[in-house]
Amino acid sequence: MDLQFSKEDEEFRSEFRAWLDTNLPQDMRTEDWWRPKSDDEQFQIRRDWEKKKAEAGYCGIQWPTEFGGRGGSPTMKAIYDEEMAKANAPRTVNPLGLAFLGPTVMAIGTDEQKAAIIKPLLHTDVIWCQGFSEPGAGSDLAALQMKAVPQGTDYLINGQKIWTTNAMHGDKIFTLARTSEGAKRHDGISMLLIDMHQPGVEARPLKQITGESEFGEVFFTDALCPQDEVLGGEGNGWMTAMLLLSFERGSSAIGQYTEFRRQWDAVAQIAKQVERDGKKASQDPVLRQQLANSLVDLECLKYHSWHVLTATSQGKDLGYEASMTKMMWSETFRKVSDTYEAILGSAFQVPEYQGLTLEELTTMALWSRSCTIWGGSAQVQRSIVAERVLGLPR
Amino acid sequence: MRFQLNDEQRALQDAVRSYLRDRFGPAQVREVYDNPDTDGVPAALWKAIGEQGWLAVLVPEEHDGIGLGLLDAAVLARAFGAATVPGPWLSTILLGEAIRLAGSDEQKAKLLPGIAAGEVKGAVALLPNGSARGAVATATDGKLSGNLGLVEYAAVADTLVVAAQDGLYLVDPTHATITSSPALDRTVRLSTVVLDGAPGEKLTNSSDAVLAEILDRAAVLVANDLVGIARKALTDTVEYDKTRVQFGKPVGSFQAIKHDLADIHLGITMAEHAALYAAHAQDIDAPDKELAASIAKVKAGDMANESTSAMIQYHGGIGYTWEHDSHFYLKRAKRLEYAFGDASQHRERIASLLLDGEVDGTRAPVSAESSGMASGVA
Repeated sequence: MDLQFSKEDEEFRSEFRAWLDTNLPQDMRTEDWWRPKSDDEQFQIRRDWEKKKAEAGYCGIQWPTEFGGRGGSPTMKAIYDEEMAKANAPRTVNPLGLAFLGPTVMAIGTDEQKAAIIKPLLHTDVIWCQGFSEPGAGSDLAALQMKAVPQGTDYLINGQKIWTTNAMHGDKIFTLARTSEGAKRHDGISMLLIDMHQPGVEARPLKQITGESEFGEVFFTDALCPQDEVLGGEGNGWMTAMLLLSFERGSSAIGQYTEFRRQWDAVAQIAKQVERDGKKASQDPVLRQQLANSLVDLECLKYHSWHVLTATSQGKDLGYEASMTKMMWSETFRKVSDTYEAILGSAFQVPEYQGLTLEELTTMALWSRSCTIWGGSAQVQRSIVAERVLGLPR
Repeated sequence: MRFQLNDEQRALQDAVRSYLRDRFGPAQVREVYDNPDTDGVPAALWKAIGEQGWLAVLVPEEHDGIGLGLLDAAVLARAFGAATVPGPWLSTILLGEAIRLAGSDEQKAKLLPGIAAGEVKGAVALLPNGSARGAVATATDGKLSGNLGLVEYAAVADTLVVAAQDGLYLVDPTHATITSSPALDRTVRLSTVVLDGAPGEKLTNSSDAVLAEILDRAAVLVANDLVGIARKALTDTVEYDKTRVQFGKPVGSFQAIKHDLADIHLGITMAEHAALYAAHAQDIDAPDKELAASIAKVKAGDMANESTSAMIQYHGGIGYTWEHDSHFYLKRAKRLEYAFGDASQHRERIASLLLDGEVDGTRAPVSAESSGMASGVA
């Protein structure tokens, strides 16, 4: 048992922390600074800042240097995630590209694709969307219907994608479409890399329960995609998609822990100030139990991130255990949110109460409801854990 | 960054597991269960525990022990939990810890070698039954009086450790009135112990802080026992539900069951992490060691309760019979869930550690810094 990071890792931490100190102004770390700005403005600021960070060498921490990454270790990536979360740095504008597309291109892309995709992705020159879900294909991804028919050197594409993160800001979208009739429903699918800036592609925002529009829907009406813009080969789309989704498995969740723990700390501060039944909420015995209980799971999430880091540092693939990591962080986040709501009681309705600004935490509490759906719902994850980890029959 | 047992600890784990598999299985546990009038200390098992050095792990080498850490003892506790091992191992370990942490050099030299050699059985009365704080006896001029409540293995103990209002005392049980009491979990033997002016030998370095440390170490060992129980109960249930057929299918294929088992697996995994870290945190004197002990006790207790209840539920009727082993796990989990502070008491302690300071309006405290993740802390 040794929970210390190596000297190199710690040097990286100091160096990155110093860079953040200089290059992430204090006001950019506060919600007040962001709130008055529009969605588009916020996105552009985040995009520019992330580009600056990439140019300073703080991007693609674990990606090979030949592709513009930093060539670091899993522990360096964890330190990066932790420092970003501690600094309350802007979230990446290219989450799908970083989590999924980049690693897949590095694994099975052509040399041309590697050169064309990875560095522009890291430097936010190209914002990538993911085109998987459709109105009739959510958890059951293989039910997808979008069609791509050869026309000259292009595919002619018709169909609809939904729940598309960054739909309104995307430049390109990696998309699953049916390029041929297969014998089975997993056959005949290809992963196309489609330019979103063309007349046949229309993105519309979807308003979420928070009032924001982080995701949207994308309509394809006779859209075009060159036939060499296929990742993983024509007809191999299902295998490519499964490989792509498997790249989420290395995530240690230390970034999530750091973020949620900061939120828990903020909730605890509120509990010390809000009056309930003539005393501070933090002195209510039932609320104290609830606060403690969500903290128990939070700290367990931290220990779990050490476990994941230990395994990945030793070169192990966690396989389907990754579903446990997803379950743990998303459901712990829900518990922290439930605790926050319970502390406020009916004051949860309003943006300000007894001199406290609640908007950011209330948005967080609503947002937590999405995290047990996207990226494989909590119920899908339970089936995976039961069947693939515990070995229960299908 | 290595959050896992080292090679020696894994070897110890293999050794204790293989001993229990070969020599002390469910049939031997059942014998202790079905003969509640025996002393609850199977002779061959107790001899082996002494010979293998499993009582010497925490005794310093200068006193003929092995001088390892709480994490090593936790490895044993987990294996003992999984096998529902009877006997006064934990209470004897705690006797040793009380002497090691609160005794004078003379007391240590006199008493620890016997514990390490497996020649001594201990019993402890450190908390009033059901309470997380408070003395169990009153000391006046070295004489102790009070009803200590239910004490595990008092009837076989060579030495009792008693928490009085001014510190810890060693008491010879021949000076106590010991009345045996039936126990639901028959992997233990219980007695009511009453002292009436019994002579006590004070552990000279006792203090509230030392007692708190001993209680945390006890809670951590119990948490490890509980995760051992929880894991074994889940594993047996999963195996059973793979093969038990109803409606033409293995019952483990039904989502109502498999999703619950997946949840329990996740929860136990977290409890295992917490129990592991809590032991390590005591060993390295981590700044969050108290918090870690309480977190481990909460999570392990909750999950042992869930897992052992699920074991009965997902075995159906057979799981509710005396002849099935499931009640061994349930009853041991229930006993330990309430030992050295129950989940509510530990949650309250977590709350008092984190909520009872001043309001910090300037910034939210950055937790990672106080939790061993930041540079140089752990």
